[in-house]
Amino acid sequence: MPRELAFHGVYIPTVTVMFLVAMVLSWALDRFMSGLDLYRFFWHPALLRLSLFSCIFGAMALTVYR
Amino acid sequence: MVRNWLKSLEWRRGLNDWARSDGVTWIYIGKVLTAAFLTYWIAMRLELAQPRTAMITVFIVMQPQSGQVFAKSFYRLLGTLAGSVVMVTLMALFAQNSELFLGSLAIWVGFCCAGAARYRNFRAYGFVLAGYTAAMTGLPALAHPDTSFMAAMWRVLEISLGIVCSTLVSAAILPQSAGAAMRNTLYQRFGTFAQFVINGLRGESDPASFEASNVRFIADAVGLEGLRAVTVFEDPHMRRRNGRLNRLNSEFMTITTRFNALHQLLERLRRRGVTPAVQAIDPGLAALTRLLEPFAGRALTNADAALLANRLSVYKADLPEHVRSLRAEFVKTGPSDDDLLDFHTAYELLYRFVDDMHDYAQTHASLADHRHAREKWVEPFVSTTSWLSSLASGVRATFILGVMSVYWVATAWPSGASMTLVSAATVALSATTPNPRRMSFQMACGTFLGAVLGFFITFFVLPRIDGFPLLCMVLAPVFVLGTFLTTRPQWVGYGLGLLIFFSIGSAPDNLTVYNPYAFINDYIAMVLGMLLCAAAGAIILPPNSRWLWERLEGNLRQQVSFAISAPLRGIRSSFESRTRDLLHQAYGLAAGKPEVQRNLLRWMFVVLEIGHAIIELRREQDILPVHPSYESQPWRQAIRAMGRSLIRLFIQPDRHNLSRSLSAVDHAIVCVQNTDEPFAPHFDTSALRRVKSYLHFIRTCLLDPQSPLAGAASEQVSAASPQGQPNAS
Repeated sequence: MPRELAFHGVYIPTVTVMFLVAMVLSWALDRFMSGLDLYRFFWHPALLRLSLFSCIFGAMALTVYR
Repeated sequence: MVRNWLKSLEWRRGLNDWARSDGVTWIYIGKVLTAAFLTYWIAMRLELAQPRTAMITVFIVMQPQSGQVFAKSFYRLLGTLAGSVVMVTLMALFAQNSELFLGSLAIWVGFCCAGAARYRNFRAYGFVLAGYTAAMTGLPALAHPDTSFMAAMWRVLEISLGIVCSTLVSAAILPQSAGAAMRNTLYQRFGTFAQFVINGLRGESDPASFEASNVRFIADAVGLEGLRAVTVFEDPHMRRRNGRLNRLNSEFMTITTRFNALHQLLERLRRRGVTPAVQAIDPGLAALTRLLEPFAGRALTNADAALLANRLSVYKADLPEHVRSLRAEFVKTGPSDDDLLDFHTAYELLYRFVDDMHDYAQTHASLADHRHAREKWVEPFVSTTSWLSSLASGVRATFILGVMSVYWVATAWPSGASMTLVSAATVALSATTPNPRRMSFQMACGTFLGAVLGFFITFFVLPRIDGFPLLCMVLAPVFVLGTFLTTRPQWVGYGLGLLIFFSIGSAPDNLTVYNPYAFINDYIAMVLGMLLCAAAGAIILPPNSRWLWERLEGNLRQQVSFAISAPLRGIRSSFESRTRDLLHQAYGLAAGKPEVQRNLLRWMFVVLEIGHAIIELRREQDILPVHPSYESQPWRQAIRAMGRSLIRLFIQPDRHNLSRSLSAVDHAIVCVQNTDEPFAPHFDTSALRRVKSYLHFIRTCLLDPQSPLAGAASEQVSAASPQGQPNAS
């Protein structure tokens, strides 16, 4: 993956875009989990959400800076 | 051995108490410090233009409960974006002419303050931000318009950083969830209410405690609505139950109104002594008291609620039979027509009360399930704000900014920008509080303290230290003090002033600038700006004064015409919530004046009782089967005429309108009595009998000598006789 994306002549770091994509993905995952009431199996839902977000974002960012 | 054990027990208990009260505060302070320094460090590391802005965001956004942090952050982000867009637009339009720029800025801040006063929850906060972000970024850039776009961009970045850090810290480290607080309030509330009902049914409650409990329920209802709006951001568990929580609140308001109506009727009957009517009504009440007793004074869990729902449904099923036997006995004593109507009305109200309480218990019990049919609820809590009070807030803000700008332009004071900017921030932040003057004054004091501490730290301590950890050590004591002050409701203003304006003036950026003249000048400007805000809050249409209560009292009375003329769909919930919301505001504004508060409360009772009875009447008419005795009969016209006379009465409560309403109600009762009904006139099958009960209830409300309606009528008599100056006071 390129490290920077050109958007109408403006260079944006790819990780910034990925951050936003990761936010959308983790939001969808959160919706899905709360829809099935899966959060009742976890001790600290907020921490879980944060960790999931970090995993998603980290995994996506690794494809850029590998 | 035993002594040792006892000692350790006492010590533990002490520690537990501390952990539950002060411990929570200290944990919160620790969280604020963590979030602030984390943000500060990242902002310095990333070399943002103003790391302090990011840190100030943390101070503004941080709240003890994580849900509130989310909500506030969300609206802060929206507000900042809106404010930045407006600032860049204004700058593009009026860069060459600062008078026009300042004028439009003043209007924009005024508009935002009006919005903040209009939407009092966290949405208000978005408006506050939209207003002062424009001022914060625009004013310093006024001399160099070319930098304004970048200034706006930096600011958005800094604020986003602050928001991300504070939400992270508040959600991940020892979270205090708003959801838990809400559940707790919700569970406790029914226990209190059950105790209140038991006292009321037994006739043991005195007026003072009756009013106090009602005020508490109203505050709970408004507060729970706020919490509900916040927990949506926080907790998927609560988000799934959002509809039911909404419904629960609405149903709770209904049962309190219903109970107040019943209580009012019972009080009036009991005042006459132990009559046969009272004796006939009491057995039904005693049964309900026995039913509620196990639930009184303790938290109602979901399982308890299911139990309560079961018992209530049994009670409800038995009630008609029970009433019929009581009625047969009562008729033997040869009661008058009026007594019989009282009996019917009391049982009608009791039946409805039990029915509503049954609904409430069912909804409460349904919270245990993840999905439930009761989730579908389309009657939201509707809040109302007097447009006049929001207009006052807007006018005040525009005026303050206008004066500041004129002074700045006229004197070309170098610190004029900070003065204008600070007054914009203060006026915006205080627009959401019920007492802007006090808030501004407290902030000015806090800022002064911040200036003293800041001067000491900047010029005596900072030159001697090196490195970020030491900087944190130096700043921490001030932040601890400020955060501690913000956790105490009576000192919020001092805390906010200290935190925000200490940081603005004294927290160093990457490149520390030591300039004592500018420093002192800026702080003088800030304190002056705030004091002017306080003065304006006290002079220009102060909200905690007579004109506004009277206005709100008028709005409260107008809810009756809302009940009469608004569309029937969802009316009950919106009527209940609007009335309570109005009273809650007016009650807050009239703080410290118990006479005014009591008067407002009494008006609210009358409005709620009559409005509720009217809504019931309208519903009864709406669901009547098609039959000639129900359609376009004189009784329906009489009820319509009564509605018109009630609207007139509540717009202008005087003796003349009161007597007209009374005769309209009497006429309606007679018309209903003279209508033949096709079905057996049983308590639970006869629509006309229910209609008659509600009409009778309205009549008793109007006749009640203790109600403010009677007060208004007699006041008019006494005011008219001595001299012809009704408005002299």
